[in-house]
Amino acid sequence: MHALDRLAYGPRPGEIERVAAAGVLRWIDAQLAPDKIDDDTVARREREFDVLTYDRGDLARLYADVQRARQERKRMGDTAADKPDDSPIALKGRRFAAQVQQLAVVRAALSERQLYEVMVDFWTNHFNVYFAKGADRFLTPDYIEHTIRPHAMGRFEDLLIATARSPAMLFYLDNWESVAPGASPPFPLSARRRGGQGVRTGINENYARELLELHTLGVDGGYDQHDVIEVARIFTGWSIRRPQQGGDFEFHDWAHDTGDKQVLGIEFERGHGMDEGIHLLKRLANHPATMHHVSRKLCQRFVNDDPPDGCVDDAVAAWQRSHGDIRDVLRAIFHGPDFWAVANIRAKVKTPLEFVVSAARAVGAEPDTTPRLAQVVARLGEPLYLHVAPDGYPEREDAWVNSGALLDRMNAAVALAAGRLPGAVATLDSVAPVTPDPEQLIAGIDDRILGGTMSQNTKRVIAEQLSDITDPVQARALAVGLAIGGPEFQRQ
Amino acid sequence: MSISRRVFVKSGGLALFSLGLDPLFLARAAFASYPVPSSPALSRPILVCLFQRGAVDGLNMIVPHGDPMYYRERPRIAVPDTDVVDLDGYFGLHPRLAALKPLWDAKRLAAIHAIGSPDATRSHFDAQDYMESGTPGVKATLDGWLNRYCQHDREHQDTPFRAVAFGPELPRILAGTAPSLAIADLQAFGLRAPQPAARDRLTRAFEELYAGSATGLLSASSREAFEAVQTLKRVDPTQYQPANGADYPRGKLGKAMLEIAQLIKADVGLQVAFADVTGWDTHVNQGASEGQLAARLAELGQTLTAFAQDLGEKLEDVVVLTMSEFGRTVRENGNSGTDHGHATAMLVLGGPVNGGRVLGKWPGLDPASRFEGRDVAVTTDFRDLFAEVLARHLGARDLSAIFPGFTPDPARFPGAISA
Repeated sequence: MHALDRLAYGPRPGEIERVAAAGVLRWIDAQLAPDKIDDDTVARREREFDVLTYDRGDLARLYADVQRARQERKRMGDTAADKPDDSPIALKGRRFAAQVQQLAVVRAALSERQLYEVMVDFWTNHFNVYFAKGADRFLTPDYIEHTIRPHAMGRFEDLLIATARSPAMLFYLDNWESVAPGASPPFPLSARRRGGQGVRTGINENYARELLELHTLGVDGGYDQHDVIEVARIFTGWSIRRPQQGGDFEFHDWAHDTGDKQVLGIEFERGHGMDEGIHLLKRLANHPATMHHVSRKLCQRFVNDDPPDGCVDDAVAAWQRSHGDIRDVLRAIFHGPDFWAVANIRAKVKTPLEFVVSAARAVGAEPDTTPRLAQVVARLGEPLYLHVAPDGYPEREDAWVNSGALLDRMNAAVALAAGRLPGAVATLDSVAPVTPDPEQLIAGIDDRILGGTMSQNTKRVIAEQLSDITDPVQARALAVGLAIGGPEFQRQ
Repeated sequence: MSISRRVFVKSGGLALFSLGLDPLFLARAAFASYPVPSSPALSRPILVCLFQRGAVDGLNMIVPHGDPMYYRERPRIAVPDTDVVDLDGYFGLHPRLAALKPLWDAKRLAAIHAIGSPDATRSHFDAQDYMESGTPGVKATLDGWLNRYCQHDREHQDTPFRAVAFGPELPRILAGTAPSLAIADLQAFGLRAPQPAARDRLTRAFEELYAGSATGLLSASSREAFEAVQTLKRVDPTQYQPANGADYPRGKLGKAMLEIAQLIKADVGLQVAFADVTGWDTHVNQGASEGQLAARLAELGQTLTAFAQDLGEKLEDVVVLTMSEFGRTVRENGNSGTDHGHATAMLVLGGPVNGGRVLGKWPGLDPASRFEGRDVAVTTDFRDLFAEVLARHLGARDLSAIFPGFTPDPARFPGAISA
């Protein structure tokens, strides 16, 4: 149960027994090699998401068409700006955005490669971009598919370089517009190509700062404001070709700062153009502060909100041995004593995404392609890809546990169990057969949904609630709703 | 009893359809009774905090239009002198804050300039963290200063609505052991069921589940939730109409402030309210009199104006305090925006405010007097303003417990609250 809670989005009916029968360590090893796990269900379901057949350029064109149609409407005197735009093209744009969010929920719920999906969510937050910022409206889907997902279980260095080069990140943290002071392009840029905003000059520190603070060294990683400026100078020229058309990474020689630079005491000799940035990213990826910062975050995710030093040290040692192979770092965490320590079992509260996905899995629901489950995740406080600040959604329980969100979790649980959540149909027969015996019903729910962790109080309260309900089908729906909305299921 | 029982059983059919529950479920709910809600507190001072996340450009909010340096450093984004709503010959309001001018003239609104943190960080997250924990430079602080105020000031009764954050997440500033609530939508707060009786029964079942089985934060938060549900039942937020023709802008901020006004008027014991307003991180294309920042300021100004109108006389008990983690560079950057800076400006609005003045010691924009040569220097520690509001408005006594490691000194208070 513990392994399924942490390495996966909770057990599906019967999965606890299946993992136990195969051997939990063997299951963990299999999860660490996701390429070898068949995932036909997800492959089939992905075909229902037509947003995946659109590349950056296609989405950029769609976005431009929506904008043009809106301008046109305004010109025609339709000035009700507050009115939602219900033209077919605008609806398609909204449907695609919703599909991107729902796809994350569907994959998390149905994938056999559970640990891989957990890691995709982890890196999506570690290397956060904001889906609603300008060009990121059409760059984000590509970022998830082609930057995060291919590297989620590979080497940290490759992932870091991939994010640094990604149009979505370059746009989100403004680096695409960062140019050396006084530099100007050798050819006149058309106003249209610059998004009608004219040529910009001067460095922008935004990416440099977050790269050091969030992506690599950590805020106490031993850098200062001078380092931030030097890093920004190194990344001048890392830009995007025609961002408004969904363009690719492009290095602008003319925008690059040609002076010598020094970061954390390391000299970066002038004249190496884009290689300076690659060299810096490799240094940062293998810096001890980065190993510690990222390992600690992984332990926070998998072990405890306040991870013990022991598991962090194990992870750092594995990082050193494997030169940042994420699978080896994870293996060290899962095989360490802290992961299995009693104090860390059920010690974490589920995030909204974890709660919704684990609830859907618990009742054997297959979320459909409509955005409804993603909307529930949003209502509970975690609209996917829409965390505006670069630190990503938090891991700690105090960010998620508050009275309002808790009531909403109860509401979602009752709705799901009662079949009132269209888009995710519970198959309660897979949890417990219909029975007139409340004790048997509760035992089945405890076994299959909570892995035997249901408290005496919860059993008593559910039994009491069932005492005057004569229809066993209704009784089962209520009991499952209470179990999933109750306190035990909020933990993992 | 038999009548109400029959009514419930009869109308139970509807609930049966959508909830999937037996009518008896409803019948029993008819007899369920709650303990009487605790009586609301008497009228008392209220503090509303608005956090401008992303670091607002204080220089384009409260504009030093009397300083040529301002125009020299910001050729593309300075607010033209002719557009500024002048306040005192040197400072003026951004034109899209013009709606606030009558409140300024009525001495209900003041600004504090060159205010910020003694810590030099230019990280949003660190700086916000410090402003909310109230301990600049110390990350280990677990709770927020608004929550510590509630912990230490025991003269006021804890009602479920004593401290409320409007938004899906409880912010750092209200984190801590004193009960506090996060409300994303007042109208939808609570368990949902098609019928009041079904809702009451469901509420009761979950209340028992959490009372008996929850641990840690889950236990405390659920207790707060169920107390609040009871109180709101009485208030009925679906029926609210703003008073005096107040027109809140659409959007999250307007909605949050409308709901705050509603709770203030409902007299449910609200003492400390908090809301976020985002969109101030203007690195690119900040705009001047019009544009990105102007649009955010317009929303802020119209919301505060609507709030003051809606409250009417009740504004005499209320102080609204805006805050932001730091200010922005004096000089515009290469992208017609501004980068992370140091000091910014904050606003205080309400009856008890010593208004109509720009408070704080102005360090000037001269490069020699700037922080690290680039940013407006901090001359007022934000804790001096927060401490003044807590002491003079809410009557807090133990300020050093609320701001550990800091000794608030009334001599350094900026003078935001009328003595």
